[in-house]
Amino acid sequence: MDIISQNILYFIIAIAIIILLLIWAYSTKRLQADFNTITWTLIPVAIAINIAIGEIVVTLKLPVYLDSIGTVLVAVVCGPWAGALTGMFANIIWGALIDPNAFPWFPVAFFIGLVAGLCAKGGLYKNWWKVIVTGFLVALTAATVSTPISVGVYGGITASGSSFITAYLLQIGQNLVPSVLITNYLVEPFDKISTCLLAFAIIQGLSTRFLARFPRPENAQIEQGATRTQLLIAVIGAVAILAIYIFVVVKTVTQ
Amino acid sequence: MQERLSFYVRRKSDLHALNPLTKLTLAFVLTILGFISPWYWTPQSVILLVIIPLSFLGKVQREYFSIATRLILPATGFLFFMQAFFQPVGKDYIFQFWFLHITPESLALAFSNASRIFAMVSSFTLFLLTTHPSELMSDLTRRGLPPQFSYVIISTIQIIPQMRAKAQTIIAAQRSRGLDTTSSFIRRVGALFPLVGPLVFGSLVEVEERAIAIEARGFTSTRVKTSLYDIPDTNLDRALRWVLIALIIITISLRLWLS
Repeated sequence: MDIISQNILYFIIAIAIIILLLIWAYSTKRLQADFNTITWTLIPVAIAINIAIGEIVVTLKLPVYLDSIGTVLVAVVCGPWAGALTGMFANIIWGALIDPNAFPWFPVAFFIGLVAGLCAKGGLYKNWWKVIVTGFLVALTAATVSTPISVGVYGGITASGSSFITAYLLQIGQNLVPSVLITNYLVEPFDKISTCLLAFAIIQGLSTRFLARFPRPENAQIEQGATRTQLLIAVIGAVAILAIYIFVVVKTVTQ
Repeated sequence: MQERLSFYVRRKSDLHALNPLTKLTLAFVLTILGFISPWYWTPQSVILLVIIPLSFLGKVQREYFSIATRLILPATGFLFFMQAFFQPVGKDYIFQFWFLHITPESLALAFSNASRIFAMVSSFTLFLLTTHPSELMSDLTRRGLPPQFSYVIISTIQIIPQMRAKAQTIIAAQRSRGLDTTSSFIRRVGALFPLVGPLVFGSLVEVEERAIAIEARGFTSTRVKTSLYDIPDTNLDRALRWVLIALIIITISLRLWLS
């Protein structure tokens, strides 16, 4: 089977996995635990935040997307399944009404919400450096899930700037799927770590009384501590990790 | 500024009279046909022989052509060029410019991919031009979609224009107070926070009020709600949906049989 059809198959498999996960979560009552009336009202606002910030970033011409802040926000205070559904709805509505190129990426948004929510449930969202770890994990998931979609629907070359990296890798002789995978692994961490940090900043700015209304306020209880030293540790740690990471990726590529 | 984010145009036509689910099925089927059919010229023939005539049938041809040329063509055109230059298929270069080259195979692949995307976007645009979002959601809710989902979709459609307007207002207000949005990279990153902060916190404050409001209107009630408007579902609609599903099954079997 040629590569494109294989990746369309992966796309269909991803959708099937999503449906199975949702059915499992519904039948074991995990899905319902995330949802309150206020969750349902938060989701449209979160989707609108996704879209509004995505558009502001384009105005400011920054090299990141930042279009999942709302998804991560919902995932942390309401739960993984709420976050996953937010992401999915956001991409579907964005694709249907604003920019159709956003539509095929809804499995990615699903897993971003799911992984962010699971990390928050496991206590990985309580101070700066833990948020960066969450961001990194989310980035890895996003990069992995978006590769088959990119190859299957667009043949590996999408309309975004990161395709130039893919093109370069293809020129120096790499195969299609590894090129797309490496491009995504290089580009996603910046975007997702910034997204998680911004969502964390938003949660810090909300009052405890407000957060208490959501299904999972305990995920948002920030550990008290010297914020400045924590921020410094977080930034140094992040830069170090990213440097090592990029070094490893480039090493594997130029072999 | 539109108060609702939708393409819908109010007309009286055969297409507008169809049930929303039929039109949605049609959009999906046309898209899927473009992607899985084994015949190379499927997306193009779908566009020329199905979508354009249907736009005339639905009396939305002017809006469709305007959207196609303003939005769809540039996006798919860009995709076409990216694919033509960068897809690593084929060996003989028929055109070379610096390090960019085109082969007949990459041209064919680029045209195929771009046409598929064009067909997908066109069929959904046609659907959105002829279907009112509230009608679609009412119909789907009547068929069993949880009412919370249709609340989320309708609410998002209403909130997005509001939030865009708010974002523009905040950008203008902060700029008039001296916020620097055009100079160096660091300044622009710093400019993000005074823009995003008021927008996000202002919107989040509303969330609690909305939740109380919809609960007071019986949102969490599990009783079946009576709808004021009745959306017709005729035999023609049902027949059309079955024909479309049959088309998909035939195409999948053709594809499997031929490979």
